[in-house]
Order: sequence, then structure tokens, then C-alpha cells
Amino acid sequence: MSDPKASGAYVSAAGIPKVPGFDPARAGKRAECDGGGAIAGTRFAGREEFAGTLTGDYVDHGEPPWRWYLLKDLVRRPEGYPGTAVWCLAENLFVDGEPS
Amino acid sequence: MGRNPLHTKLCDMLGIDFPIIAFTHCKDVVAAVVNAGGFAVLGEAMHTGDEIGADIKWIRSRVGDKPFGIDLVLPASAPDADSLETLLSRIPEEHKRFAAYIKEKYNVPDPKGAQALHQWGGLNQDIARKQLEVILDERVPVFVSGLGSPAFMLKAAHERGMKVFGLIGKARQAKREIEAGVDVIIAQGYDAAGHTGPIGTFSIVPEVVALAGDTPVVAAGGVTTGRHLAASICLGAAGVWTGTLWLASRESDNDMIIKEKLVAATADDTVYSKSVSGFAMRVLKCPWTEEWAKPEAPRVLNSPYQMLLSSDYIQAANDHRRADLMFEAAGQGVSFIDSMKPAKQIVNDMVEEALSVFEEITGEPADA
Repeated sequence: MSDPKASGAYVSAAGIPKVPGFDPARAGKRAECDGGGAIAGTRFAGREEFAGTLTGDYVDHGEPPWRWYLLKDLVRRPEGYPGTAVWCLAENLFVDGEPS
Repeated sequence: MGRNPLHTKLCDMLGIDFPIIAFTHCKDVVAAVVNAGGFAVLGEAMHTGDEIGADIKWIRSRVGDKPFGIDLVLPASAPDADSLETLLSRIPEEHKRFAAYIKEKYNVPDPKGAQALHQWGGLNQDIARKQLEVILDERVPVFVSGLGSPAFMLKAAHERGMKVFGLIGKARQAKREIEAGVDVIIAQGYDAAGHTGPIGTFSIVPEVVALAGDTPVVAAGGVTTGRHLAASICLGAAGVWTGTLWLASRESDNDMIIKEKLVAATADDTVYSKSVSGFAMRVLKCPWTEEWAKPEAPRVLNSPYQMLLSSDYIQAANDHRRADLMFEAAGQGVSFIDSMKPAKQIVNDMVEEALSVFEEITGEPADA
């Protein structure tokens, strides 16, 4: 088993272990994300779609690992989306050249 | 008719009499529907782990060993978070002026006391994990993920004897989740209340059924009557997911003003608008949605800015119980809600109507 510290692992303020990693096979690949989440202060959820380029960076949240990939250089994002990058849930990510 | 058309594989899986799933934010509705032979799922997206644990115990005390579900909105994408002050500072003056114009035009009062909708702290991965811990510890019979894929926690849930349902708005999401091993897939169409997928119920359901194999598919979006239930079965669904149907039920804790609005509303009274949250969602029309739909209105902001902008109106409308201002998320099936019936009667009426439809089609008696 690898040393979590050597891999850059850390623990969030909520006590959730997070282990960052890098997937070279996905770095630079175009991908779409069927994203979204809960809307703060409400009981509603919202869907959001993104498309961009995967950096290859990912973070595994907690145990069992819940993997999130970083999508940058967004060519599609919700109108007015404030950022230039988004973390996408691995299973909601559709990567060019990979089976959907 | 050779067999009961309403006895589906969903009934066998859950041990329920009728393939009707109620999605609600009210515990009393959960208990009433489960005890009436249906299935019910409590939406707990913005609740803490402690609150979820207490709700689970309350439901168990009312339904005994009968199964029920808990729904969370697992996020599927997550931007970096900013402070409330930073977010507020980014709202353009033009938009603030337009919100103030609506406030003055409709004499919207200030909210009373603390503004719950202003409390910031949107769901992120950490909060969702804490919620999930409670659900796994409590071995809730069914966990429903209302947005992000639940694939990462399937093994943990199944090891505890739980079932996991995934709610999707696109066929490719359904395929992913079915391959991951979800127990039921809920295909939600555009007719639904709140934030829906872009595809209509009549299109998304058979599309998902075609790729689902043995995994039961549940139809969602506009399902309100027994005729909808029968149609969903004919589309290949093993059951229906219903939300708006319960908002005006006797047990619902919605404000009576909202219940009366729902009873009076037709599909034309709903609007698919981004003006409430920045996400497109279906709600009952109200002055806020109507003003933002006008050509002279500024372009609606994205989430979370539009939500921050609308929260003052929403909180004031609810605090002061202003019937002219209040609204609720509602699907297009709201046309069929014409009275405030007990949940048990809603279940029974839906079943009877669906059976009548099958009798009409087959010319043979159908009996549940």
C-alpha cells in the first residue's frame, strides 16, 4: 500500500480523506460532463452541462473512493458560470474515444 | 385479463402492492403512502446527518418493517466555493435594480427575521458523504440519488442489504448507472416539477426501457393519474415516480395557500424558468417569474447568483403568506390535482383508474 502522504493525500475540514492523483491516459482528452448539484438554501437540484479538456488530475473523496476529474478550458458551460474549470463526477463524465 | 397488470417486478422487488412511488419532502406523506400499499421516498437534500437519522427513526415508527426510501442530491459537478459576500458582490447593479423594481411594484415586504434562503453552504462532496454515512449506517431500505451517479457507493449499500435507485434525465446516464449495477433506474422527463432533463417523458421512458435489460425502469415527469400509470406500464416501465401529486394531499405540510393554488392550477400555470435559481426549473407562475420573462428584464443570472437575488422575494412571500406572490415547484400534471385528498385515497384512485384503463383496452376485467 502506498504512503498516503507521499501521494498528496489530505483530510478535509469535515474529516473526509482526499487522495489526489493523475491519470496520464486522460490528460488532454476532450470530455462532456452531465453535471449539476443541489442548490444551496433550497431543496432543489439543478442539472448543468459542461464540455472541455481533462487535465488528468483527479481526487478520490473518502472511502469507498468517490472519484472526481478536473475539466478545464471549458467550451460549453452554463451561461454565466463563474469559473473556467469544474470538477466532474467520474461516472457523469463522457470522454471522447472511450465507450459511453 | 390473465394477470394483474399493476403487479410489476418493482412490486416484487420492494414487496409493495402498487407500483407507485411518492417523492415528497413530508414525512407524513411517506408514512401514509407506504401504509397504503405504495412506496415513498423522502427528499433530504438539505438536511444534516442528524436530521436524516431522526427522520428515518420517525418513519420506521410509523411504517414498521415496510420499506421506504431516502433521496439525496449527490452532486455531479462542483465549482470552487466562494463566500456569500464574494458572491453577492458579483451580482450586477442592473439585476439588483430589477429585483428592487419587482419588490416595489408588487409591494413585496421585507422577510421576517432570519432569512433561511440566505444561509449559504451549498452541498458539496463532504456534506453529501456525511449524509450518506447516516443512510448506510441506518441501512435504509432504498437510497435514491437524485442527480449524480451513485456507482461509488453501490457495493457498500448492497452489502448492507439496501437497494439503490438512480434518477436520470438522459439515456446515456441511464446506461452508465445500469452498467454500474443500480437496482432501479428512474427516467425523468421534461414534464416534471423542478429541475428536469430536456427530454419529454414519453420519449425518455421507452428509450431507457430499451437499454435497461432486466433493471426495472420507473417513469417520472407529469405522472399524476391512473391513466398516466397505465400508460407508463405500456411504455415498459415497472412503476411511476410521482411528486406534484402529493403536494396538495391531506397529509402534506405545504402551506394551505400553496395547496389551493395547486388545486386551481393547470399546466398553463406552470413555467419552465431560470428566474428562481439560475437553473431552468418548472414552477407555478408568479410575479417574479412573469417579470423576469418580459423582454425588458435583464438576462437571468446563473446559479448561485439568481438564487441569491430571488431569495428575498421568496422568503418574504412565504413569511407573510402572500397568496399573490407565493409559488411552488410543480409539474405539468398539476392540471389533474383537483382536491386535497388523503394520500391513501390518492393511491386507491390511481390504481382503480389504471385498472379501468386496462379494462378499456383489453375488454377484460382487471383486478389488483
